[in-house]
Amino acid sequence: MTRMTRIWNKNKALWLLFLPCLLYYLIFRYAPMFGLVITFKDYNLFKGIWASDWVGLKYYRMFLENPDFWPLMKNTFLLGMYKLVFGFPAPIVLAILLNEVRKAAFKRFVQTVSYLPHFISNVIVASMVIMFLSPTGGLINNLLEWIGLGPINFMNEPGLFRGIYVLSEIWQHIGWETIIYLAALTAVDPQLYEAADMDGASRLRKIWHVTLPGISPAIVITLILNIGKVLEIGFEKVFLMQNPAIYDTADIISTYVYRVGMVQGNFSYGASIDLFMGVISLIFIYTANLLSRRFSETSLW
Amino acid sequence: MGKWKSVILPLLIAVTMVAGCSGGGNASGPKTDAQGKNDVKNNSSGTGKTFTALLDNNPTFPYSKSWPVWSWLKEKTGVTLEVQTPSGKLDESLNLAIASKSLPDLMYMPNRKESNKFGQQGALVDLMEYMDNMPNLQAWMKQYPEEAKAALSADGKMYMFPNQGFGETNRIIWMYRKDVFDKEGIQVPTTYEELHAALKKLKEKYPDSYPLSIRYGQIPDEMNANMTVNYGTGEGAYYDFDQKEWRYGPTEDNYKSMVGMWKSFYDEGLVPPDFLSLQTKQWQDMVSTGKSFVTIDYISRIDFFNNAMQPENPEFNMQFMAPPAGVAGGKQLNPYFHYMEGGLTVASTSKNIDDIMKYMDFFYSEEGRTFSSWGVEGETYVKEGDAIKFKPEYNDVIEMRKQTGLQTSGTYTWIDFNAHLSLFSDALKHAYEEAVKYDPSAMQPRPAFTEGENEIISITGQAIKKHRDESFAKFVTGSRSLADWEKYVEEINNLGVDQLLSTYKEAYDRVLNIQLSAK
Repeated sequence: MTRMTRIWNKNKALWLLFLPCLLYYLIFRYAPMFGLVITFKDYNLFKGIWASDWVGLKYYRMFLENPDFWPLMKNTFLLGMYKLVFGFPAPIVLAILLNEVRKAAFKRFVQTVSYLPHFISNVIVASMVIMFLSPTGGLINNLLEWIGLGPINFMNEPGLFRGIYVLSEIWQHIGWETIIYLAALTAVDPQLYEAADMDGASRLRKIWHVTLPGISPAIVITLILNIGKVLEIGFEKVFLMQNPAIYDTADIISTYVYRVGMVQGNFSYGASIDLFMGVISLIFIYTANLLSRRFSETSLW
Repeated sequence: MGKWKSVILPLLIAVTMVAGCSGGGNASGPKTDAQGKNDVKNNSSGTGKTFTALLDNNPTFPYSKSWPVWSWLKEKTGVTLEVQTPSGKLDESLNLAIASKSLPDLMYMPNRKESNKFGQQGALVDLMEYMDNMPNLQAWMKQYPEEAKAALSADGKMYMFPNQGFGETNRIIWMYRKDVFDKEGIQVPTTYEELHAALKKLKEKYPDSYPLSIRYGQIPDEMNANMTVNYGTGEGAYYDFDQKEWRYGPTEDNYKSMVGMWKSFYDEGLVPPDFLSLQTKQWQDMVSTGKSFVTIDYISRIDFFNNAMQPENPEFNMQFMAPPAGVAGGKQLNPYFHYMEGGLTVASTSKNIDDIMKYMDFFYSEEGRTFSSWGVEGETYVKEGDAIKFKPEYNDVIEMRKQTGLQTSGTYTWIDFNAHLSLFSDALKHAYEEAVKYDPSAMQPRPAFTEGENEIISITGQAIKKHRDESFAKFVTGSRSLADWEKYVEEINNLGVDQLLSTYKEAYDRVLNIQLSAK
């Protein structure tokens, strides 16, 4: 007890600083979790959570027995994987390239231009994509025609959706995500570069042996976090970009939840799918962390 | 999952929990203030009631406290509405209001499905129990029994005040560039065959154009309904009034011919190759820049295009087009869209239920109808003999609504549509006159479902609908051959069409058996 008091007295100011954060998490993050109980209930908005009837695993069973369950899982997973495989390295590459740029003005220009799209709303981005790719007067198709290729009906080809989505994601977020790696790069000791120069290392060699190892902890941590988000594809953008012709690849769990759960006001069903996906994401992130801890010295915990 | 869920759901739950924790006694918390105020305000007139109301807010004529409509309503009924508008989407505000148990007395709901759900959960008043207070509504129900029945929920109760007349604005019609057709000497088509020929001719004359262009991706349900009604079938489960049975449209032969026709439109470049995903803006540009000459959309688009284009191009003339019949000898029909889904509901927790009923009954009187359609004599309209006319300063519907607040959410139930009509352009008036001639003999029944049935419709119905939409897209764009039709029919039947149809049938029969016995 005395030990506790001592700790308290010693760090009073720090604890007080921490308090708002703690309260925020308790009230807005942890308390609402009790609401997940609605996934086992036939949630009646008016009666409230406690008065609603228990239905056990009904909503989970409903989801698993759904004929669309596997295609939805597959689409969500593949879209997430594509985004991870192609979207994750992109900002790293950009950060390293920027790091090699000698002219500060050019560097700052590229950085500003590349992170601006991050602030455009998804609604605008989705309509921009659709309009640029339109076979009736879209910019890209005009270019294709100009170099002698026929128009391509991009948004009607199920096979192209994932590529288009991932590319637009990269375009939107590459600059923003670069910031963290650029910050990590400033921590690399310049003496290492000088030493490498002495040893006669080429530019590529220096990137390979100095820069990359220097930011590898940051890379691993963001990778683990990103693996946890593979299934959390942004709803908005996919929903805005999809159309019936490309449901084959573009219908994912969150758009399904929207159609069935939200439009129909079936909160219990929607929430149970969400919890289900949350559990899978937890397994992903846990496994990724485990592997990372085993094979490298960096890990989340 | 997306941000929307991770934010809204926990918030909702948090609110519910907070409300739950603070005990049920709090249910009327925020309202007691209003109530208290109203006791104080209970002035000379003796009827100075104040009700709280959650009303929808339209960006085109945003809610204003200073609209004269509120003082006119107070003059006529003695009631003051303390209005809140949704902070975001109406649905979300409603969910929050109900989950937090701080319900306003009157709530505007976007559709009957919502009001039936909340009603069955106990949040709304069953209006049938208060019919004694509403002689005008009773008379209205005797006059329009079909409309009254359509307002009932699956348990035979009525949770939303029925409305009539306003739905006319929801009509969706075919329209065409009369000036271009006249110039090229093309007859207005009466069948899809003729339409096909006309579009082909237009494509020859204007090779860069896509003569027929629609907003399929933006309003798929409406587009499907429009296309299928032309072919005498339905976009999903529909009631066949001749055979007196429920049928499923998208597996019928007529539906197949429709798909075949759209496929040839697509193959021959008569519709834009991306018509399934066309954005509203793209569609507007195509129609207004003379890249498309025929389209399907809301009836008011006639004025929308003409008013925007005629100043630059006086030739530009968008007009109503009679719907083409799908098969030779078939009926030329437009779908029945001129009903309105939204309306006012009363919270079961309200302390003023009896007074609200008396207030709402006003809207079903002739006086109430004239008031909510035309406003106040001398202020907004004048009488010329029997005919009513808006005063000349009101020459545009939107401006009229913006200035007066008339015909905005929560200020009407039963409307004389002539009030709207009188402010329209000649082309649009003509379209309304013509459109009526192509109405189906009756509205497709929209039976109310129980919670269990709704679950079937949302799960099985969604799976079927998705397969239908996906297959339509594939057949038309050619990524699946129409020779596969039999297989498609089998696939879609396997998803549970029979179950869907029997759900509709059951719900429909139940509604048929309900007696409209006002107590």
